[in-house]
Amino acid sequence: MPCDQPFDRVSAYIDGELPAEERRAFALHLETCPACASLATELRQIGRSLAASGREPMPSELPSRIRLALAQAADRPEEPAAPAPRLRRWPVPVMLRQAAAILVACLVSSLATLWFVTGASQGRLLEQDLLSAHVRSLLQDSPIQVASSDAHTVKPWFAGKVDFSPEVRDLAPQGFPLVGGRLDSIGGKRVGALVYKRRLHLINVFAWATQGSDAAPSLSTRSGYNLLTWTRGGVAYAAVSDLDGKELERLAELL
Amino acid sequence: MASPSRFEELALPHMEAAFNLAFWLLRSRSDAEDAVQEAYLRAFRAFDGFRGDEIRPWLFAIVRNAAYRSLNLRRRAANVVSLDEALPGAGGEPGPAFQIAADEPSAEEAMIGADERDLVRRALAELPPAFREVVVLREIEGLGYREIAEITGTVVGTVMSRLARGREHLRKTLARKAGKDQSNAM
Repeated sequence: MPCDQPFDRVSAYIDGELPAEERRAFALHLETCPACASLATELRQIGRSLAASGREPMPSELPSRIRLALAQAADRPEEPAAPAPRLRRWPVPVMLRQAAAILVACLVSSLATLWFVTGASQGRLLEQDLLSAHVRSLLQDSPIQVASSDAHTVKPWFAGKVDFSPEVRDLAPQGFPLVGGRLDSIGGKRVGALVYKRRLHLINVFAWATQGSDAAPSLSTRSGYNLLTWTRGGVAYAAVSDLDGKELERLAELL
Repeated sequence: MASPSRFEELALPHMEAAFNLAFWLLRSRSDAEDAVQEAYLRAFRAFDGFRGDEIRPWLFAIVRNAAYRSLNLRRRAANVVSLDEALPGAGGEPGPAFQIAADEPSAEEAMIGADERDLVRRALAELPPAFREVVVLREIEGLGYREIAEITGTVVGTVMSRLARGREHLRKTLARKAGKDQSNAM
């Protein structure tokens, strides 16, 4: 009863993957070998059950999630294109984003240290801190702790968390929707951060109490990010984004 | 960077199949979601270098790599015996079903929730990944050996023998499960 035909051949036969000649020969063999014939039937049956069980249904929100991620990637190509992993490759840890986050955080903080050691001015150090806080917020799952498109929820949220009251306005009609706010730390100081959006660009507006007098907005660029700083009413503001400098200045005017 | 539109046009229609492949490799819906998203981002970034007429094998190879990265990380994180090690010899007799749970408890849980008569899915989940992926690509996606070889980075002969061994496993597992069901019934 057991047949000397290899299992491979039965399996390839039912897939129609045998070369023409072998295929014909095996078809003939099947007619005379009940063992192979019943095996072929059994394997076909398993295949049918699998096909009938179908694909694992995809979560309905996955396409929109991926479209959004693609749009963001197209808008902000900060990561170099990964080579197409065509064939077997070294297994790279999967949570690449987290790894990249740690790497960038390390890089940014070591750069900051370097500046400090080389005696960079306080201003540059501050800029570096603002930039790394901005980058950090982009790397997190969510850049905000309190979500709102309504300024009346965000402003009271800061009360008691920071020692000043930042200007909070929803500028959605002007094309700068308020996403929300969070607490951050700049130069060892607790600061408020307001998060605005401009199309797909995220803007962090950091705010902290200062003794300094009012100052007009001044724009600088660092590592491809625009930094706009100004002081008004005893509160220092710093807007950081990859958004165009002109548009960032417009946001400062609106605030 | 190129706009996503051309890439989306070609790649988005394959998302259901990509998710299915990632799910069967990872046996977790949420991990599969992450893997598919990661793969689509990687594919998009590498899309300029794509020079083929068929996006599917190229894309699925990226999805598969993302899933394996996730699997490796999970194994390292859990520091447990992997499924391949739990089964003595890739082609040998599968161990008892509960042994597989030591690999990833979530997998077994996920499968226990499945319909009782869905034995075949549970048997598939118990296959070692190298066999599971070729069975999924062949039986659920209906791909040919050449395309499967391209996706898995092997040759047609390897696909043929892995598929045969995968089917052999499935057959034995199903026979064992059916036998157990019968004894339970009595």
